[in-house]
Order: sequence, then C-alpha cells, then structure tokens
Amino acid sequence: MKTRSKSASPSPKGLASTHRKAWLVFLCSTTVVTGFAQASDDAKFSAYRDALADGNPGEFWVDDGEDLFFKKAGPKNASLEKCDFGLGPGVLEGAYAQMPRYFSDTDRVESLEGRLMTCMKTLQGLDDKQIQEQYLNIHYLNAAEEDNRVSPLAQLATFVASKSSEMPFQIALDHPKEQHAYELGKKTFWHRMGAMDLSCAHCHAVPGRVLRGVELPVMTDPERAGKVMGAFPAYVNKDGNVRTQWWRNERCLLAMRLPWLKTGSEIDAALILYQVKKASESDEKIAVPGIKPRA
Amino acid sequence: MQFNFCQYSFRPILIGLSTSLCLAGISLPVAANDDNLDRGKAVSEAKFLEAVKSSFLVNHPDEWKRFTDPTLKICNQTLDKPSIEQANAIRKLEKANITLPKDGQYMGDWQKGQMWVEGAHGGRIGFPGFVDADDPSKPNGANCYACHAVDPNFPQHGNMGPSLTNYGKLRGQSAAIQKYTYEYIFNAKAYNPCSLMPRFGSGEGHLLTAEQVADITAFLLDPKSPVNNPKVDGEVKKLSHP
Ligand code: HEC
Repeated sequence: MKTRSKSASPSPKGLASTHRKAWLVFLCSTTVVTGFAQASDDAKFSAYRDALADGNPGEFWVDDGEDLFFKKAGPKNASLEKCDFGLGPGVLEGAYAQMPRYFSDTDRVESLEGRLMTCMKTLQGLDDKQIQEQYLNIHYLNAAEEDNRVSPLAQLATFVASKSSEMPFQIALDHPKEQHAYELGKKTFWHRMGAMDLSCAHCHAVPGRVLRGVELPVMTDPERAGKVMGAFPAYVNKDGNVRTQWWRNERCLLAMRLPWLKTGSEIDAALILYQVKKASESDEKIAVPGIKPRA
Repeated sequence: MQFNFCQYSFRPILIGLSTSLCLAGISLPVAANDDNLDRGKAVSEAKFLEAVKSSFLVNHPDEWKRFTDPTLKICNQTLDKPSIEQANAIRKLEKANITLPKDGQYMGDWQKGQMWVEGAHGGRIGFPGFVDADDPSKPNGANCYACHAVDPNFPQHGNMGPSLTNYGKLRGQSAAIQKYTYEYIFNAKAYNPCSLMPRFGSGEGHLLTAEQVADITAFLLDPKSPVNNPKVDGEVKKLSHP
C-alpha cells in the first residue's frame, strides 16, 4: 500500500478523514486472521504480520510523516530536513538504528521523538509550549478518541524510523552519557515502584509469564527484544493508530500506577536505550512500520 | 540459580497456606548477562530520583511517593532478599497499617468481592486531561486475574501468582484463616516482605478499601462462592469489567 495521502496538513482531523476509507477496507480484511488457535503470541503475531504484509495502514504514517518532515513550519518557517539524527544533517538512512544516542549540541542522550522535538526548537523555532500544544497534548486523549486523532509526532517518527528498515539496531554505547543512560534504563527497568509494587522486570524478564491471558515478552532476551523494538513505530489494529516505543513504555508505566512519562525525557530515552541495546545483540532487523493486533 | 524471596516468610501456623501464597514471591532466574544481580546499581538512588523528577509529570506532589516507598527501597537495595532484621522491620511496619472494616469483620459480601476481583479499574494516573486515567470517583477493582486463577468459570487468568481456585474449600473458614487471608490481601508484605503481590490496602495509591478487602476475603472463603465450587459446564463468564 503505497498510496500517497493527498493531505499534507498536520491537522489530525484532516488526516483522519483521508484515512478512514482505507481503515474500513483494512478492518474488513482482518476478520480472516483473528481466529488463531493456541499458538504462542510470538507465532500469532508473525502470522498476523505475514497476512497483512502488503496492507499495512502504517504506510500512511510514513507518507504523511514525510510530508510533514519537509513542510516549512514554525516561527522560522523551516522544515525539519536539516535535522541531525546523529549521522549528519539530513542523513536519515540508518539513523534510527543507532538511537537513542548522545548529541553534543544538547549534551543529552535523545530518543527519536526527543530529537525531533529538539529540531523543532532549533530549526523551526518552536518553544516548549507550542510543541506541547501541537504535538504532545494529543496523547492525553483516550484510545477510542485517538482513532481519529493521529499524532503528528508519531507520523514524523514513523517516517524517519522507516529509513532504518532492514537494518539491525547498532547500539555501541560509545559516549559516557550513553553508558549512563543505559545504566539508568537498566535501573528503571529493574526498579520496583508504583502502587502495584512491580518492576518492568517482573513482567518482562521471566520466561513463561502470563498476565490475564496475555503472554509477556521477555525484553531482556535479545531475539525477542529485537522483534518487539524493531517493530515500533507500529500500526496497532486494536487502536487503529500507530504507536511508538515511548507510547508502549508509557502504557506499562500507567499499568504500574506511575505518573506520566514525558516524551523525550531522560527516563524515556533510557528505557528505550536499555531495550534496543538488548535488541542490538540479536540479528533481528528493524521493520517499520510494524503491525500488531494489539500493543 | 533461583532466588527464593519467600525464605523469610512467616510460616509457623499455616504452613500449607503460607507456602502456596508465598509462590507470589518473586523468583527471577538469573540471566546470562546478570542484569538481575546488577539492576543498574551504577546509578545511585539520588541520580535515579533526579532523573525521575525531570522525566515524569505529576498531578500532585504525593504522586512522587510512588517512587520512594520505604519497603520497596529495601527490596530494591537487597535484590528482594532483605536480611532477617530488615525483613522483620518491614513486617512490623506493614502490619501496623492494616486496619479492619468498620463492622470489624474479616468476611464481607462475597458477591461484591467477585466484582472487585474481576475489576481492573483503578489507580491509573496520567496528566490532567488524560482520559485513560481511572476516574477516582468510581470504586477500584483488584484485577486479581492478572496474576491468579480464581473463579474457574472466568475465561482468563495470569500465572504470576498461585491458583486460588478452591481456596476456601481446601482451607476452611476458621478465624485464623479469615484473618490471614484478609491481612494477606490487605498487605502481603506484612507476611512476605518483598512479595510480588501489591499491598491492596496500604501504600501510596493503594487500590482497595478495608470493606473491599473483606468482600474479597469472603469471595475466596465462602462455601457458596464459585471459587469453591466446580466449574459450571458450558458457562463462560462474560467479562463484566474489561
Ligand atoms: C504487570 C506486568 C507488566 C509490567 C510491570 C510491565 N509490563 Fe510491559 N507489557 C505488559 C503487557 C500485558 C504487555 C502487552 C503484551 C501484548 O499485548 O502482547 C506489555 C507490553 C510491553 C511492550 C511491547 C511488547 C510487544 O510485543 O510489542 C514493551 C516494550 C513493554 N511492555 C515494556 C515495559 C517496560 C519498559 C516496563 C516498565 C516500565 C513494563 N513493560 C512493565 C505487562 C507489563
């Protein structure tokens, strides 16, 4: 599905109507693949992906993200095309495969979404408040409403990430701040906290654990982490929307009854880095946009 | 190598019972890379909390306490293996905040208990305007099926805790069992200091009232409860609380 959306507008409403028809077609076509038997979730998901390989609505996010990326916007009336994702200004090929990483201009380790927001500030002249209003507030709406509220940040992230498809994650941790972020990610992952007294590790570091009928992926296992992390941003059928690595971690933090994780924050980047580092220890390749029945 | 976090569990009277609930303690196999032993200890608690403060948005300063619970602090520091002294201190602390329902009874209404056991609503916070946050004006559930099999007619369950099916049938309803069950649900860490099980009646953001804990106790113990009766043929309970 490589149909280009006509709408290059960042207005979520406009995009939603452009996409609605395609979604209907898509939803009708999925009834065939919903009734899997008792196979493992991993196998189920891969059968699901195969069944939908050339009908992934996530491709719309790639296309719309591309439009947004090259669109002039903000007080400086500039596009994001000179954004440096670590391999030089405007170099997108393979950049996501090495993120989160350290950036000397901000002296921070940044995730893809974090870096996009940095470039909105430096290249487009947006301030925090504008980024909050134009890109982040949308996350406060519930999943049902988000069906017709497409996150423009997710569109941008999906476009940039898609330029690393077919490549494995390459996480070297060369810079001391990257090592620190990795250790911070590890600490956060293994730290018991929240009203449920749990750590991520309780659910995602023990093989064979099942939560209310749902098999839990072992994120410390490189193979599994490679598959899981390499699929984000992923089109999630249950939500009819594309979800990023940040979103997934935030959903689990929500279930742990913890406060809201800021997109692009230090712990956001650290949690992603910890898990993509595991992913990079496997041969699994990035496949963006991924597709999942649920996430 | 396996860690057994139940080693300091309180077992004198209710051996069989305590052992089965104790499975709710953590048993994390040590991975080859030993992250389980290291758990990011290169980052100090202070640095971690500094990062937390800059990374999360709270609605109210009390929500920060969700990162600094004193009992979990010991569990984190000791990789869930507190010393005997630490374990005793945790038990004492946690025991002290267990309260009884207003009527003073450990057993409430099992039918209400069934609702709380199934319910997954409660305690999710977000940022102002975030609609998926749980409405605090509605009663919370305990989402027991996340980890336990309970009513055999319920279609789903997890395996992070032991099965509670036939709980009362196997143990009876003696005063000691009632008290133990009530207290374990109210605050599992009063028995098993670093239990995997949340403290439903205690701690910042705890989910249940004392009355709800009593209702759940009744759901587990009452002879009429489906927990203590055979699975009804052909019946698959519909999910009343998705
Ligand atoms: C109570 C158990 C629990 C805890 C604690 C938990 N998760 Fe999850 N996690 C889940 C469940 C359930 C899913 C959904 C799996 C599915 O739908 O296949 C999930 C999914 C995920 C996924 C996506 C997996 C996929 O297949 O796409 C990631 C990544 C993840 N969690 C990371 C984390 C992180 C990081 C933490 C800690 C901040 C965490 N989880 C804490 C239960 C948990």
